[in-house]
Formats: sequence, structure tokens, C-alpha cells
Amino acid sequence: MSSQGMGGDSRSFGRPSGRSGGGAGGRGGAGAGAGAGGKDAGGKRYFFRRRKVCKFCADKIDYVDYKDVKLLSQFVPERGKILARRMFGTCAEHQRKLTEAVNRARHIALLPYAAD
Amino acid sequence: MSDRTYEILFIADPNLGEPEVDALAAQVQGHVEKDGGKLQKMEKWGKKRLAYSVRRHREGYYVLLVAEGTGVMVKEVERRLKVTDGIIRYLTVRVDEELRKAERRKAKRALGEEKRKGRAGTQPARPAEVQQ
Repeated sequence: MSSQGMGGDSRSFGRPSGRSGGGAGGRGGAGAGAGAGGKDAGGKRYFFRRRKVCKFCADKIDYVDYKDVKLLSQFVPERGKILARRMFGTCAEHQRKLTEAVNRARHIALLPYAAD
Repeated sequence: MSDRTYEILFIADPNLGEPEVDALAAQVQGHVEKDGGKLQKMEKWGKKRLAYSVRRHREGYYVLLVAEGTGVMVKEVERRLKVTDGIIRYLTVRVDEELRKAERRKAKRALGEEKRKGRAGTQPARPAEVQQ
């Protein structure tokens, strides 16, 4: 611990040490975390990302119907591919059902396999 | 063996006239009933554009049948659909299990909501505030 603290000291030599003088642990963390970020407001920079919620859970859709083209096409962009879960935030259970439904819809030519 | 519910969706040749499509649907209905099935619903969606060409057709006449029956019935009906001229694509899906599951989940959710409401009612101070 002490050796680490020494290293931190030597690195923060030219920095405005008055601000970070509050706690040794805090200083070490900030120095290691973000060199540039430490300049503005002195805190970590947060990356805000909209939280994605499964549409099927939110709308309480229990049965994903393959006949509901309007619903399915929301998850199938122009190319005709099924988008990954991470794109739309669908939960695993509903993604599975979605895939099944899309494949059925494709078979009966309601949705394309691939765009031409 | 208890009966199961199936959806039979088929696409008829768009060059057929309305009466011919009706005849096809009646024919399928006949197959269903011959094997001890019971037709619950018949829906004609009409002519729709296909997402891709099927047997050189860009359009198709969609007909949906919902029937109760056994697996044996489905096998026979599918075989017939395959050999019937004028039907360019078909799909049979068993739906009773999934629908029942969905129904159960809906009921469960309704129950949960009721419980939540009931719990809120037992606390006299807060609900009054929340509601206003």
C-alpha cells in the first residue's frame, strides 16, 4: 500500500495537489482512472446510455404471434435479418419467441429471408 | 388423446377466383373433419403481396383455418395440402399449449396486481397521497 502511494505521489507531482489532498485513496483512484477526465469537475465521466427494456415485457405480450407482421417487422430491419438482442434489449425468453415467430412468418412469405 | 388446436395457414394461387379459393378452403375443411377434427375458425385474409416470390408468384391469397384435432389429422391434412394444386405454400402450427401458457401468465400477472393493490389499501396514510 505504501509503495503504491509513493508511486502515486511521484506521478501527481505537477498536478494541483490541493484539490486531491483530501484522501490518499481517492487520489490514487482518480489518477489511475482518467488522466484527462480529472481536469474537468475532477470526477469520473459517466457515459449515459438509455436503458433498454424488452418491448414484449413492457407491453405484456405473452404470445409472440407469427401473423402479426406489424410487430415482427419492428425487429427486422430492411435487410431482413433478425436483430441481435443487444440492439433492442429484448430479454432472452422473448428473443427466443421472436426468432421462432419470425422464422414462421418467413416460411409463409409474410417476411423476407433476405432483401433483394 | 385429447385434441389439440392447430392453425393451418395456406397461400392459394392468386390467379384463382374467389369461388375457387372458397372451394379450396372447403376442401381443406373437409379433410379436417374427415379425420375427426373440428373447425373453429376460418379467416380469409385476401390477396396479399408476398415477401418473396413463391413458385413464381409475387402475390398470394391467404386463408387461415383454426382447427381442433389430433396429430394424425394434421399429418393427413398436410399431405393433402402438399398435393393440392393451387396451394403454393402452407404452414401448420400447434397453438394450444402456447396460448394456454400465455393465458396462465396473464392470470398470474392480474393476480399480482390485485395483491399489490390490496397491500396498498392496508396502509391508510400513503394511498391517499399517491392517488392525489
